[in-house]
Amino acid sequence: MSDQFEPKIVAFLCKWCSSAGSDLAGVSRMKYPPNVVPITVMCSGSVSPLYILSAFKRGADGVLVSGCHPGDCHYIKGNYYARRRIALVKKILEFIGLEPQRLQMSWISAAEGSKYTETIKDFVQELKPLGPQTRLRRGK
Amino acid sequence: MVNLQDLKKEVQKILKEGKIKYFIGYEKREDEPFAKPSFIKKPEDVEKLTWNPTCVHNLARFLVFEKRRKASEKEPDERPVGIMVKGCDSRAINVLIQEKFINREDVYIIGVSCENTGVIDEKKLSKKLKNKQAQKIDFGEKDNFVVTTNDGKMKVPSKEILADNCLECKTNYPVVYDVFLGEKIERKPEDPFESIKKIESLSPKEKYNFWKEQIDKCIRCYACRSVCPMCYCDECVVDSIELSVTAETTADEKAKKIIWTEKSPVSSENFTYHLVRAIHMAGRCVDCGECERVCPVDIPIRLLNKKLEKEVVELFDYEAGFDSDRPPLLSSFKEKDPQEFIR
Amino acid sequence: MDKILKKNSLSQWIKKLESYTIYAPVKKDQVWEYEIMESPDNIELDYPNTVLSPKKIIFPQREVFLEFNRSDENDLEIKEILPEEKPTIVFGVRPCDARALTITDKVFRSDIKDIYYSKKREQTTLVGLACNTPPSPHCFCTSVGGNPYSKEGLDILMTDLGDRYYIESITEKGYKLINSAKNLFTQPKTEDKKALEKNRTESKKKIQQQIKDIDKIPPKLNQMFDSPFWDEQSLGCIRCGICTYICPTCHCFDISDEITSTFPLQGKRIRTWDTCQFPSFTMHSSGHNPRPDRASRLRQRVFHKFQYFVERYQEYMCIGCGRCVDQCPVGINIIEILKKVRDYESKSLHAKTS
Repeated sequence: MSDQFEPKIVAFLCKWCSSAGSDLAGVSRMKYPPNVVPITVMCSGSVSPLYILSAFKRGADGVLVSGCHPGDCHYIKGNYYARRRIALVKKILEFIGLEPQRLQMSWISAAEGSKYTETIKDFVQELKPLGPQTRLRRGK
Repeated sequence: MVNLQDLKKEVQKILKEGKIKYFIGYEKREDEPFAKPSFIKKPEDVEKLTWNPTCVHNLARFLVFEKRRKASEKEPDERPVGIMVKGCDSRAINVLIQEKFINREDVYIIGVSCENTGVIDEKKLSKKLKNKQAQKIDFGEKDNFVVTTNDGKMKVPSKEILADNCLECKTNYPVVYDVFLGEKIERKPEDPFESIKKIESLSPKEKYNFWKEQIDKCIRCYACRSVCPMCYCDECVVDSIELSVTAETTADEKAKKIIWTEKSPVSSENFTYHLVRAIHMAGRCVDCGECERVCPVDIPIRLLNKKLEKEVVELFDYEAGFDSDRPPLLSSFKEKDPQEFIR
Repeated sequence: MDKILKKNSLSQWIKKLESYTIYAPVKKDQVWEYEIMESPDNIELDYPNTVLSPKKIIFPQREVFLEFNRSDENDLEIKEILPEEKPTIVFGVRPCDARALTITDKVFRSDIKDIYYSKKREQTTLVGLACNTPPSPHCFCTSVGGNPYSKEGLDILMTDLGDRYYIESITEKGYKLINSAKNLFTQPKTEDKKALEKNRTESKKKIQQQIKDIDKIPPKLNQMFDSPFWDEQSLGCIRCGICTYICPTCHCFDISDEITSTFPLQGKRIRTWDTCQFPSFTMHSSGHNPRPDRASRLRQRVFHKFQYFVERYQEYMCIGCGRCVDQCPVGINIIEILKKVRDYESKSLHAKTS
């Protein structure tokens, strides 16, 4: 087996939709790469830019923020705020030289177990050629 | 032309009438031909006031101190504070009103138009004078300033020493005011986002190398945060362990408290601080240029805030500080907000 | 021991000092800072002054004291991190910045020795550069007991005489450096000594800022603790902290833990710079802060430098470099404040009761 780089992804999944979707993938025995550290948050709108920066600082190679589809948020408006906020976080991280593929956002509902596995599979494939994330990582 | 006598008369009038508590303006420094903030309480002191392109400070910052000071008074004086603002500063006041940090009635605004000039960047001037000290500056002529050093007089084209944010500015007149001094002259500035586009065209690695070199200089003095009118949080997120600690907090709890940024001035912590500040400024920064001016190690902080200013215009059609009734950027949304980046 | 060194021999001398880590002033954009010198051929000593003084080499902004590690419930491993062996030279030190180190010596190397500061201080050789012209328009070193060619705290003093440097070796450490390249140095002639004298007289005259009768200030301050003077002077202050952060004599620090991993528990105990102007300084764990406003912070800065330190060590805790005046964004000028204190007349003056 070659010593290939395995990216570490931190995924912020909203409890009501995306996290449930990931559970559905598990219960249905769908196979997907084990590179994800899932963190359940109450709503994608509660994901602060500090969580994302913290993840990169601790060595995450990729960060995924996932919530309910627009119109389906359990708290009505949370995902709309997240949409604006994460767009800006993505832009500023790209501006300082973090590869744009490292931060991704998705709408995954509780019924979309397969969309979750596809998202993770694609994310891992996109991150492998980029190598480990060193730019925002906490050094010695 | 803004008439300094008109300004002095107006301030004297409102002080004599007791309409305001005190007036925040500019006066000349004792030792140099540059201005510094001035606090006038007595009508006869208005003679100290000055107005010229060295009046670079964003006086809206002092409204934050005024609010804190008033909060600690037992019987507060309910009169407004008088303040003198340029175009960018007036937008800062609008943002403070929009976020309900202060009320419109708490300030009596004398707005001053920059007309065809702006403010001088002291660092640019210093470079132009090859580190010689300016003893006197004449602002008479429209496109040239005459600077006197101990080597004699020197004509300096204003474009070469005006601050970058002035050269890119399109609000050279106040947008909220009780009194308007000067003329409202529409100006077409240079492309305000040219410096941003230059950086955007670099590869990710080049971008990172540029920013790492700049951010490594940071000594975390937090001057950029202290001078910004919009950084008014009682406890900043980078200092986030103070207010939440009480006499009953155990040592174990203190050790487990979340610390978003360490105190050490290392690369990753400096990046976290600057990035979080830029994100907190999205849709609120009015590009007064103060953060970059006060930085003792010359980090181009304005570029980070300006990048998000560009994105906020392009993605959400939003500009900070023009309409204090509009809901703040990140507390609102549109059904059709862009989402091509979302899977 | 006095010597002459031709300017074009400077880089050759430095090349002989390869075994040391050498710091020199380096220009980045518009800002000068002390950095590890990349190439002896590029050394430039004709510079105004750095933003941060050489204090940052001896008392760095971040210093690790110990590392801890707990992989097992009961087994906490603590590893002391001692200062490393690293003979260092700093070139181009302004005499005032070297005097600043003799002032911080009184805090870190008196009856209790700080091993980190002491070790760095002992293994660093300071090569000073006399000021032919004041590096800042706000220099006032002569008012606080210094001068542009002071030897206090230095190991070697270099004076720029045009095409050559007049070298004065002051300590054993300085002598050692000169000895390592003996043949590059020549004996000074009478005209060199005359040029040096002339240089000294001229450079002292060029200092524009003076505070006359500065001795009146410490006792006057004693009477002004509760004065409304500080409220007026601090109205423009925005509490940025730049003044104390870049000051060569300020030395407050904070000790904190950096946790790199929670399980297994791993981390470092570090010391970082702190400033009396930051909001959390003197904050009690109850949330009360005895210095809640800008007036008390400004008062603290002035008192510490011109009253408390004078009372304890009979010396001003200020070297007159003018950096705080140069960098203050709102024009708060300690020279003007001191003059106002000296001339302050008011019925509210009374001696401190505590």
